[in-house]
Amino acid sequence: MYQYSEQDHQLLLERVEQFRGQVQRRLSGQLSEDEFKHQRLRNGLYLQLHAYMLRVAIPYGLLSSDQMRTLAHIARKYDKGYGHFSTRQNIQYNWPKLEDVPDILDDLASVEMHAIQTSGNCIRNTTSDPLAGVSRDELEDPRPYCELIRQWSTFHPEFNFLPRKFKIAVSGAAHDRAAVAVHDIGLRLIKNAEGETGFEVHVGGGLGRTPMIGKVIRTFLPKQDMLTYLEAILRVYNLLGRRDNLYKARIKILVHETGEEKFRELVEEEWQKIKASGLFLRDEDLTWIKGFFKDPEYETLPDRDAEFENLLLSNADFARWVDKNVELHKQSGYRIVYLSLKTAHQPPGDVTADQMDAIADLSDRYSLGQIRTTHRQNLVLSDVRLQDLPALWGELTALDLATPNYNHVTDIISCPGLDYCALATARSIPISQALTNRFDDYDYVNDLGDISINISGCINACGHHHVANIGILGVNKKGIEVYQLTLGGSAREDASIGKIIGPAFEADQIVDAVSDVLAVYLENREDPEETFLATYRRLGEAPFKERLYG
Amino acid sequence: MALQVYTASLLKEGLVAYLSLEDGSPSWTADIRQATAGHGELLDSLKAAAEKSAQDNLVVAPYAIDVLETDAGWMASTKREQIRAEGPTIRLPQDKSRESRRAA
Repeated sequence: MYQYSEQDHQLLLERVEQFRGQVQRRLSGQLSEDEFKHQRLRNGLYLQLHAYMLRVAIPYGLLSSDQMRTLAHIARKYDKGYGHFSTRQNIQYNWPKLEDVPDILDDLASVEMHAIQTSGNCIRNTTSDPLAGVSRDELEDPRPYCELIRQWSTFHPEFNFLPRKFKIAVSGAAHDRAAVAVHDIGLRLIKNAEGETGFEVHVGGGLGRTPMIGKVIRTFLPKQDMLTYLEAILRVYNLLGRRDNLYKARIKILVHETGEEKFRELVEEEWQKIKASGLFLRDEDLTWIKGFFKDPEYETLPDRDAEFENLLLSNADFARWVDKNVELHKQSGYRIVYLSLKTAHQPPGDVTADQMDAIADLSDRYSLGQIRTTHRQNLVLSDVRLQDLPALWGELTALDLATPNYNHVTDIISCPGLDYCALATARSIPISQALTNRFDDYDYVNDLGDISINISGCINACGHHHVANIGILGVNKKGIEVYQLTLGGSAREDASIGKIIGPAFEADQIVDAVSDVLAVYLENREDPEETFLATYRRLGEAPFKERLYG
Repeated sequence: MALQVYTASLLKEGLVAYLSLEDGSPSWTADIRQATAGHGELLDSLKAAAEKSAQDNLVVAPYAIDVLETDAGWMASTKREQIRAEGPTIRLPQDKSRESRRAA
């Protein structure tokens, strides 16, 4: 992973001291809340429903074991003993005190982490494929490009006051595990007809109150031009994006209102002016950054192991876990392991400090000391030897991190909702827990197969409900929390926005409604291989609507 | 006319607080049941005291909320404010140890 330079360290330490001074001036009354609010948001510090909330950046979802231990330490010392992994691969603390935040940032800086640009109208943490560098369907590791974007966008003077926040995702694999189509900019590494690797550039995707799938504004961008082209897009957006209406300020609205063709022309025109600038990536630049993401020294191992195979045959629980939460690795003798943060016992994405410490230890012992976060709010140990799977499974089971449900019905994305969030209009965590309780039967989970349920507690859609196969949006209707169902969304390479199926359901009806939707799927699928999404796309909404509303 | 109390976030901790006014003397409490509720002139006094507390950097962003009178005392009338008063409606994750194992 990327290692900070002396300059990076200096930058971070100066930033922490700057914020410490700002906090002191706020506490002593030299800064008003209006003056301070902007400063704290620039450092990821929100004032939420119950307390301050600190959002810490996890660049492209990659953590070292020492970083994870520091996150545990912060949870334990300054918070209530847990953290929440978000859909943007970051971690959020829900209860820090303002006076402690500079010390928290100091602790983060000691392990090359920070909360810079995790809020505000700037370029946020770049997200990526949690299987980057290890999956079998990958064309090229996207992380070096993510890191270049991180360095380019951090404190970029021209893009610190954009019309609205700006999110970039990069994927290098055939399967999209980074939801690139619903980001302000999504970059997909592809090969052109000449066999060269470059980017397909998607712009104007996003969720919120106006969900949109990004438009491909360039079918092939040479890698060397990545930063110049991003700069051109951002310049067009910065100049023409609306600042008069918060709800129309995202780039998706600009692309939509300008028109895809015209927007493309504007970007290309701007790009011609700057493409030969200092941001052009030379071969030595790419070689340098890729040096931080070289493959580790994998052992030469057979892709079979007797103990693993024996346990697979003799232990149904182990076999279920392997079936659902373990994926093939590009390297023979290794596997990728998903740690499920989805049980009925804890809110989706929440991890206790004890669990974080244990995960850090497990990553050291079994996975080369690294952990990844996923946009579906789970964790990944990316480099586990096949022969270590039985022991790892035992330890994960003891930690309640081995629920066999990855990409299945109880692997629910949920925003914090009205239990924590000042913007929320309805609770989402209790609904996710009720659904998990109802469907927590392995045979049923297995039978339903690949399916996604996402829940948001307001129209801002932090729970990505628009792009779930089954999306749930909580809203407040005359003082009552009600839940709207959307069907047919996808965040993958076949991205689509789900359609609202009909009137909303009250809280005590929504679990039954989802159960009915699942029943219609099971009754109508052509065979067990046909996924929920495929069945919905084949049949349309009619049979689901009929069952739900008669 | 609905009775109202003033609420805000404590500047240092960020925690939810409610304004109590006894003999004209303001204080902030975490317990909504201890808050002073009123309307008309009393509410004007509460507003003035809340704004003064914000100017004095004790609290952030004070505002008035409707409350209902119950046997146990004041209760916020909206779900949002009830959750704000009582805390998350779900069980918080529980950590078992209190000892940091962070690398030195």
